[in-house]
Amino acid sequence: MGVLLTSVLAQSDISIEDIEKMISLDSNVLAEQFYFYTVVVMWLIHVGFMAYEAGAVRRKNLMSTAMKNILTIAVVTPTFYYFGWYIYGCFEEGWPKSGHASPDVFEGFCGLTAPWSVGLGPNLQDHLSLIFFLAFLLFSWTTGSIMSGAVVERIRLSAYLILTAILGSGVWIMDAAWGWSAGGWLTTRYGFHDAIASGVVHGVAGAFAFGVVLNLGPRIGKYTKDGLTRQFRGHNTHLTLMGLMLIFTGFYGFYAACLLITSTSFPGWLNIYGSPTTLGTIAMVITIGFAGGFTGGWFGSKGDPFWTLSGGLAGVISVSAGADVYHPMLAYLLSFSGALVAVWSGNYIERKLRVDDAVGAVAVHGVAGFYGVLLVGIFAGGYPTGVNNVQSSLGGQLVGILAFIPLAFLPGYGVSWVLKKMNLLRVPPEVELEGLDMAEFQQDFYPEFERVPEVIVEPNGDEVEAAPILLDSYWQTTAGSSSTRSGS
Amino acid sequence: MFNAFPYSEWGDEIDAFWTFAGGDKIIWGQASLGTWIIVVLGFILMIWAFVGFVRLENGKLDHQAAALRATGALDRPAPPASPAQS
Repeated sequence: MGVLLTSVLAQSDISIEDIEKMISLDSNVLAEQFYFYTVVVMWLIHVGFMAYEAGAVRRKNLMSTAMKNILTIAVVTPTFYYFGWYIYGCFEEGWPKSGHASPDVFEGFCGLTAPWSVGLGPNLQDHLSLIFFLAFLLFSWTTGSIMSGAVVERIRLSAYLILTAILGSGVWIMDAAWGWSAGGWLTTRYGFHDAIASGVVHGVAGAFAFGVVLNLGPRIGKYTKDGLTRQFRGHNTHLTLMGLMLIFTGFYGFYAACLLITSTSFPGWLNIYGSPTTLGTIAMVITIGFAGGFTGGWFGSKGDPFWTLSGGLAGVISVSAGADVYHPMLAYLLSFSGALVAVWSGNYIERKLRVDDAVGAVAVHGVAGFYGVLLVGIFAGGYPTGVNNVQSSLGGQLVGILAFIPLAFLPGYGVSWVLKKMNLLRVPPEVELEGLDMAEFQQDFYPEFERVPEVIVEPNGDEVEAAPILLDSYWQTTAGSSSTRSGS
Repeated sequence: MFNAFPYSEWGDEIDAFWTFAGGDKIIWGQASLGTWIIVVLGFILMIWAFVGFVRLENGKLDHQAAALRATGALDRPAPPASPAQS
């Protein structure tokens, strides 16, 4: 560095302004690199979701489940390019009051988010717009993947793709504009604080998914005639657990990408609202959050492997909103409680509400997400959030929750209702019984392994052959109907 | 050193080559004709893909469901005939 500076100063035609430009360029390029690598690490979230869900389904639905995760990328990427990024850039005040010249906290940002703008094409003068776009795009994929797990084994692939595009490129990014940006109305007016997206990503995706599964209905055979719950056996628990561990790894990239860093614009790390924090702080919280979450998941489920790992996820999600300010031991305690809340609410949703959420996504992401937003109001109330230093408060957090839940739930419910009415939401029951892979791909994806009879776990815990139960449920489903395409 | 490579001039030339170039290539908004063409074509592909996803899958599912129904394997078995009838 010293040699470099000496060389620069030795050239008499170099001015201070020139040096400032060079340092600024270096700073921008370093920021560009940083976000690039967060994008790479965040890909692991999607590898993880794919493995997690593919392992949690029955063998006959393996590829149809994995394909949902893969094609999420195919539909959310272009829709986010055309709509999502523009919504984030221009809807911070609810509606762009001043068009592209709106008085953004980051001046001119709105104008760089239109698909035809210089911000979304190759631009030698702009090192940050595209890489920021990509980081947010990876968040968008995540919202789709969260919903994906809830609807497996009976949703049409095409219906899922329509729903995930709406969630990933419309719904979540609107709430991000409102409450996860320096100029969002929830931030500037109410001090809403959700630093690493407990509610903005997880809560909202969970609420959207809840609306969808209400219309989608349970898998054939999930409930007895008396409404008691049966359990399906996932075909590869090891794959599921490995998938969750990959999600956890990717979360470090997710957390890091939620911070801002360009050293010539502002000193040190900032959270998404422009308030100072450090990378170490949030990395510590996420790590201790896993510890508390695993512990809570283990004890809450009495040692169930699936819920122990899902508890880790719920634990982290429940401390994400305040990850930039929490003391590690506070995060440990709160994440423990978040996992307990997720396990309890997951069981409640499945057994009392009789809503078939195949992987507990509504509980782990939705309930734990909004729980995390609420916790900030209790444990970090008074923290000056954002460029206006508006204090966070329980009331402000509640305003955010009350804005986000309908924003997420209503589109999920409404669009899936329309798809259901058009017979485009659910696969025909015959296909569901046989397995989606044969209809979608005409093959079994474990050709070298012998098929064994499918089993199902009765409410009393007995593991029995599934075929008679599934057929009986199928006959009930299709009784008196000339068309078997009505689904549930 | 830093200025040994004419980054600015080179950048301007490259910028002018791209369809995203500004300057006198702008026809409306911030974009050139080339930009507008690819933005519109990309949008058409995106919409076409959504329609295609629905239609392709619909055909596969209908075909498979009809084939399964035709086998009779999923039909409810007829109740056994009563002794009086036999």
